[in-house]
Amino acid sequence: MASSAVVAHEIRSEGGFLPWLLAPQRRGPLLVAPALIVLFLMNIFPLLWSFGLSFYNYSAKKRDVPDFVGLRFFERVVTDPVVWERFKTTAIIVSSSVLMQLVVGFLLALLFAKQFPLRRILLMLVLTPMMLSLVAVGVFFKLFYEPTFGLVSQAVAMFTGDRYALLGSPTGAIIGVVIADAWMWSPFVMLLVLAGLVSVPKYLYEAAEIDRTSPWRRFQTITFPYIKSLLLLAVLFRTIETFKLFDVVYILTEGGPGTATETIGVYVYRLAFQYFRTSQSAALAYIILFVVIVLTSLYLYAVNRRAQEVD
Amino acid sequence: MTRSREIGRAGWGWTAFAGIIALIYFFPVMWIIMTAFKTRPDALAVPPKFFFTPTLDNFVGVFFRAVISGGGAAQATEFPLYFFNSIFIAGVSCLLALIIGTIAAYGFSRYPLKGNETYMFIILTTRMMPAIVVVIPIFLMFREIGLSGTYAGIIFLYTAFNLPFTIWMVRSFFDELNTEIEDAARMDGATERQLFFGICLPQVKAGLAATFVFGLILTWNEFLFALLLTGVDTRTVPVAMARTLGGEMGVDYGLLAAIVTLFLIPIFFVTFLLQNQLLRGVTFGTVRK
Amino acid sequence: MATIDIKDVTKVYPNGFKAVERINLSVGQGEVMCLLGPSGCGKTTTLRMVAGLEDITEGECQIGGRRVNDLLARERNVAMAFQFYALYPSLTVAENLKFPLHAEGRSHTEMDAKVRQVAKTLQLESVLGRKPAQLSEGEKQRVAVGRSIIRDPECFLFDEPLSRLDVTLREQMRGEIKEVLSGLSKATVIVTHDQLEALTMADRIAVMRAGIIEQVATPHDIFAKPANLFVAGFIGTPQMNLIPASFTGMDGGHGGFALPGGQKILVQVDPAVSRLAPGTEITLGIRPRNLEIMPEPVPDGLTLQVDIVEPMGAETLAHLSDGAQSMRVVCDWRVPIDEGDRLHVRFQPGYVHVFGPDEQAVRS
Repeated sequence: MASSAVVAHEIRSEGGFLPWLLAPQRRGPLLVAPALIVLFLMNIFPLLWSFGLSFYNYSAKKRDVPDFVGLRFFERVVTDPVVWERFKTTAIIVSSSVLMQLVVGFLLALLFAKQFPLRRILLMLVLTPMMLSLVAVGVFFKLFYEPTFGLVSQAVAMFTGDRYALLGSPTGAIIGVVIADAWMWSPFVMLLVLAGLVSVPKYLYEAAEIDRTSPWRRFQTITFPYIKSLLLLAVLFRTIETFKLFDVVYILTEGGPGTATETIGVYVYRLAFQYFRTSQSAALAYIILFVVIVLTSLYLYAVNRRAQEVD
Repeated sequence: MTRSREIGRAGWGWTAFAGIIALIYFFPVMWIIMTAFKTRPDALAVPPKFFFTPTLDNFVGVFFRAVISGGGAAQATEFPLYFFNSIFIAGVSCLLALIIGTIAAYGFSRYPLKGNETYMFIILTTRMMPAIVVVIPIFLMFREIGLSGTYAGIIFLYTAFNLPFTIWMVRSFFDELNTEIEDAARMDGATERQLFFGICLPQVKAGLAATFVFGLILTWNEFLFALLLTGVDTRTVPVAMARTLGGEMGVDYGLLAAIVTLFLIPIFFVTFLLQNQLLRGVTFGTVRK
Repeated sequence: MATIDIKDVTKVYPNGFKAVERINLSVGQGEVMCLLGPSGCGKTTTLRMVAGLEDITEGECQIGGRRVNDLLARERNVAMAFQFYALYPSLTVAENLKFPLHAEGRSHTEMDAKVRQVAKTLQLESVLGRKPAQLSEGEKQRVAVGRSIIRDPECFLFDEPLSRLDVTLREQMRGEIKEVLSGLSKATVIVTHDQLEALTMADRIAVMRAGIIEQVATPHDIFAKPANLFVAGFIGTPQMNLIPASFTGMDGGHGGFALPGGQKILVQVDPAVSRLAPGTEITLGIRPRNLEIMPEPVPDGLTLQVDIVEPMGAETLAHLSDGAQSMRVVCDWRVPIDEGDRLHVRFQPGYVHVFGPDEQAVRS
């Protein structure tokens, strides 16, 4: 109470609201306020709203007054075997895709770690997939996997004589999605690994040369320590991002055949916009959000550790 | 193995090797571009045609509907509108995000709040979370207040979508500046406004440009928000592509490939121009080097 | 025989920059050779060519009598300590020390014994389990030295070994390295830009400038008999006084010179000076410590005004001038000197260097 009286007094003595607002100690809050307001309106508030929704029995299709159901939807989501099935599908696709990205990205990075003529242009060719729209990537691979004239089908037909619909079988569809996703994001891993390779001081390699080190030992003792924190960053970042795996799947398979490639993202989409089980989808979305928050804080922790290493 | 002493240097041999790998890697993109120049029979040919007479029919087809019964002028398709929408929506929202985000980034960098890094973390989380999480309530909200299908709605949403990225990126640029210059300017009696506009902004100009262009690409590529929140008049190209793919009369791959090719042109430019900022961009400014 | 012979070696970089031009240098067994020079003089390039980290454009490099131009660094059996230490960050001190031994194919017990022995010599025993990041600069430097001396190479190469240490540590390590090296009896090359380091550690010093070796001599000779103006000006602190003068002729064992102010002096010089023609424009060199302060004007002395006084602890450095020329003089700290004073100085006999018009010392 006393302090507010003091503030009120200051306002009067300094002459008005504007000088009070522009006082040096309010500079920081003032600068970030517009951004925080926009983010609050477009991110935080909707999330709070959907948090509220998840406690009610609400469907975007019906216009009834929703009932309060408490934690029932969370309970239903957590105990729903279908949800676990979708999480499993997501985990399989995420882990195989991230693994493939690591291997391919790493090899690409070794290729581009050297300085050679035309490197910049070739590097651009390899980096392009990462910059593409997920929809465009979906289109590319849809064309590739097309059963009658797609290249994959025709290549298989050369050996077996039969056309092959890769996306027709559950395993094939998963492989198809994984390849498309890994193709798109391997350059991301490559970029991170390249950053690590570049940060290795040249004199360490010279010392290893003087010390007559074998290539494998050189990799173990010099190269790997410099890229391992970045590899961790790559894995975390890609894992977070692959939770967003929606567009490519939506274009390529729409979750099919059956539900073989229905990732958690596609499932939430279906719950919300095809089955109109709005509240249930909101509850599930919250669980995903929680996972992403945990992964993001892990990621930032890794970022800070890496920043200390570099300094 | 050449007996080169120089560590990390390679010659034309390596260029040839890397070239082959890069071309293989780039092949899906090339195949789409090639398909865009093929006639319909060539596009569907079995075995696939690697050499063919290029045609521009598909590109014409993107903009003009073929008139089936002869006579009458060719009718324009909706694609010019979709391309305009994509450019307009991405451009305006990225510009807004850049202005608001740069001011905020300056605040976070130079006038840290109590719990500064917590704010930064929350901001990053809003970018890291899957769009699907936030799109449900926004969809309902927009329906409630009549923003669905309007430019204002999608632009406002994309501004928010780009803000976290912009703040993190631009802050990383501000953090890298040598604050001694600002201290010197302060000693010389510069006002806070002069510090921001005269000292700091000019130094991060290139970074702001990179951030803006990066945001453009991210927005240009975005699909889910656009799918659910744009209407017939505000539809963007990715949504239109997806709809073409789901067309009822079988997919016209040549046409689709032409759309994709046109859609890719800005991306090539950006990838080439921003090569040195790419790492920072794709990690939202969290990894700098 | 562990020797290094560099014959007519030239290094031209792909961009056309000539880093080293036709240098000749030989380092004998057990000899410590310091390459000394300002930055960019080609001394590090020379070292790296010996190590096998740079190609030799022209000429020949021999180690132990064997031509090594075409051998890679790993095939030359040299040990090198790097300026930035080049410690493997993920390995402990013990593992770092042991690292070069793996290639020699020794048994583990043998390697461990070696590590202990080197750690003892360099007083690293207490930090053997630490990672490089947890070491002080001095410890890092000792590990870098240890990693090179643990092997049994043909020769040792040190690139600016002490440049990253503070003054006290540098002094201490100078002595320690010298002691370690003297026990090894291998050819050793040390690159440095610090003349004190070179003067204290080297058996011989090669002074380099712009890719050329200006003089190779023992530390004593480099200091006492600089071969040319560059070496004279480069070696010794404070810098030698270099006074342009005109030779007027010999008078007995003494040379007569006309100074810029018109004053004529007669000083004791090397007999070879008599071969110069009178009237030759030369440069007189005299170290600030060899200018003697006299109580009153003396014949063949100079009287100058004190501009600046710099106390250096045990000694005092004074900057003098008389309008035509300026000089530095060093005297004991007890001699009272104040700015504005007029000082009478004379050239101590036997300490005057004469450099001819070609900048070379005139010496018999």
